[in-house]
Amino acid sequence: MFVLAFLARRLVQGLVIVFLVSLLIFTLLRVVPGDPVRLMAGGMAPEALIEQIATSMGLRDPILVQFGRYMGNVVQGDLGQSFVRPANGAATGGSSFNDATRGERAKVADLIFETLPMTLQLAAVTLVIALVFSTIIGVAGGLAPGRWPDKVAFYVSSIFISLPNFWLGIVLALLFSVHLGWLPAIGYNGFAYTILPAIVLAVELSPVLIRTLVSSVSSQMGQSYVSVGKVRGLGHARIVANHALRNASVPLLNLLGVQFSSLLGGVIIVEFIFDYPGLGLLTINAVLQRDFPLIQGIAIVTSAIFVVINIVVDLVATTIDPRLEY
Amino acid sequence: MSVVSSTPLAAAAELKLLARSIPRRVFDRASGTLGFRIGVSLFLILALAAIFYPEISGIDPTKMDIRARLLPPVFLGPNWSWAHPLGTDQIGRDMLVRSLVGLRYSFLIGVASVAVTLAIGCALGTVAGYYGGRTDTVIMRITDAQLSIPMIILAISVLGVSRPTIPAIILVLGLSNWPVYARIMRSVVMTERRSEYVRAAQVGGSTDLRIILMLLVPLLLPPILFTSVLDVARMMIFESILGFLGLGVQPPTPTFGNIIADGRKYLLNAWWIATMPGVFLGLTLTSINLVGASLERARNSIHGGEA
Repeated sequence: MFVLAFLARRLVQGLVIVFLVSLLIFTLLRVVPGDPVRLMAGGMAPEALIEQIATSMGLRDPILVQFGRYMGNVVQGDLGQSFVRPANGAATGGSSFNDATRGERAKVADLIFETLPMTLQLAAVTLVIALVFSTIIGVAGGLAPGRWPDKVAFYVSSIFISLPNFWLGIVLALLFSVHLGWLPAIGYNGFAYTILPAIVLAVELSPVLIRTLVSSVSSQMGQSYVSVGKVRGLGHARIVANHALRNASVPLLNLLGVQFSSLLGGVIIVEFIFDYPGLGLLTINAVLQRDFPLIQGIAIVTSAIFVVINIVVDLVATTIDPRLEY
Repeated sequence: MSVVSSTPLAAAAELKLLARSIPRRVFDRASGTLGFRIGVSLFLILALAAIFYPEISGIDPTKMDIRARLLPPVFLGPNWSWAHPLGTDQIGRDMLVRSLVGLRYSFLIGVASVAVTLAIGCALGTVAGYYGGRTDTVIMRITDAQLSIPMIILAISVLGVSRPTIPAIILVLGLSNWPVYARIMRSVVMTERRSEYVRAAQVGGSTDLRIILMLLVPLLLPPILFTSVLDVARMMIFESILGFLGLGVQPPTPTFGNIIADGRKYLLNAWWIATMPGVFLGLTLTSINLVGASLERARNSIHGGEA
């Protein structure tokens, strides 16, 4: 029952957040200079035609009217059509405004949900690599505060957090793909193409995970239940694995929820570097092409994902540690 | 702690002394660690180089020299020369000077955007914590909402659609992380506002603005500045990402981001253009992060010891 009340409250809060994000991005895109219709119709299109297209698309109405109409469609699951991308994957056109071969414009929802699985795959591989690596370094550091594993954790996390992701991506691609030929880097043609981008993202994600693990493991090991466990005759390994790690994993889980937003930044840049056909690459291209409906759609979908992830994180955290309240 | 003084401002002075001792102890403990010393030394070397080398060498970072194009760094290929220790790019511009000038921009933009973040975050956090009630609720709801917004998408959309100027970049970066500071500031102000010296100042007739500016901010800001050291590094990475995407400071002004983006096209025959600026950026960030992380560890151990 409590779970249902919790879910209902969080979902309502989430809806408010998604609404605010939509309003914010919608307004920002229309306030900043730059006319997307000029881009769609092409540089050679006459001014009258520009106005005609803009009016027929409703782009000259007041912003609030446009926003209301847009949200009306969003509620029905329609995120609109891309300004520049055609549905059939042919050239986007550009200079000629009356090109008859220019087909139907692609649906924003289709574009997003075609690329989303690719990004989820990347995120999953990243999480596995980052968690395995951080757990080894972080737990070792937390079990030996002040000694060398702790120092290793400190320096590894300080150096990893200082590696700019786009530079690391270029260097790793140069090293492992061009010189050594171990892994493919550019584009996507099978699972192997996910590994290098995932390593770059994992390097970016690990430092915070390592630091959180070191401090939470070392503080858990100072708790009285650890000494009690020893008195009860439990082995050290059992105390660490069954009790301390379980409690230490709660802050880690909360952190993952918060980190999603900064991980998203990494995903965008890494997909751009490796030409990985996911949501990040779609975002960058949408921004560079001023594809307003696509940018809006991506912002809405990502903030919705963010809301859901944070709800799931809280649910899992209370399952691990029943003392936490909803 | 009890502060016995005749006037509110004298009480404030005494309390400031009491509270200053904590940041000083944090600093003392951190400055004894190896990581802190490595970080500070590395940072000083890079800072001195960035301040003086471009001026002393007299090389213009935008000057082209077609005869000296694509020279490799010293010892790392044919035709290298001491005139260009890190080599040159595709139109003969000196990579070392370009990297160091890029470092100047990156660091200044990083510091400026952290200042913006601090100003917004601390102002909102202080107001929320001091007044409480409905003001607090409204500000904290905004803070929560901001934390759930994919800021990177907003940032690149705004900069991509409008023209990226330096103030716009600083503002966009500065707006990205203020909720963290608002939360910290709110929680400390909430505990401070009930303390005797704030009461004394209120009874003594000081206005709220005066109490906030003269008593609370000078007391509570220094510990937060320790936290913000790490943020400078984060902002510098963010700035270089924007530059890399073409949404940062525009060429011909060299920045880490736009040099690396340029060099990416020549990766196979001139690997140093894209990689060398990144080494500089990475070293700078490492130095800042070592200092910031040492301070943070020292603070945690001191607070942990007191709790």
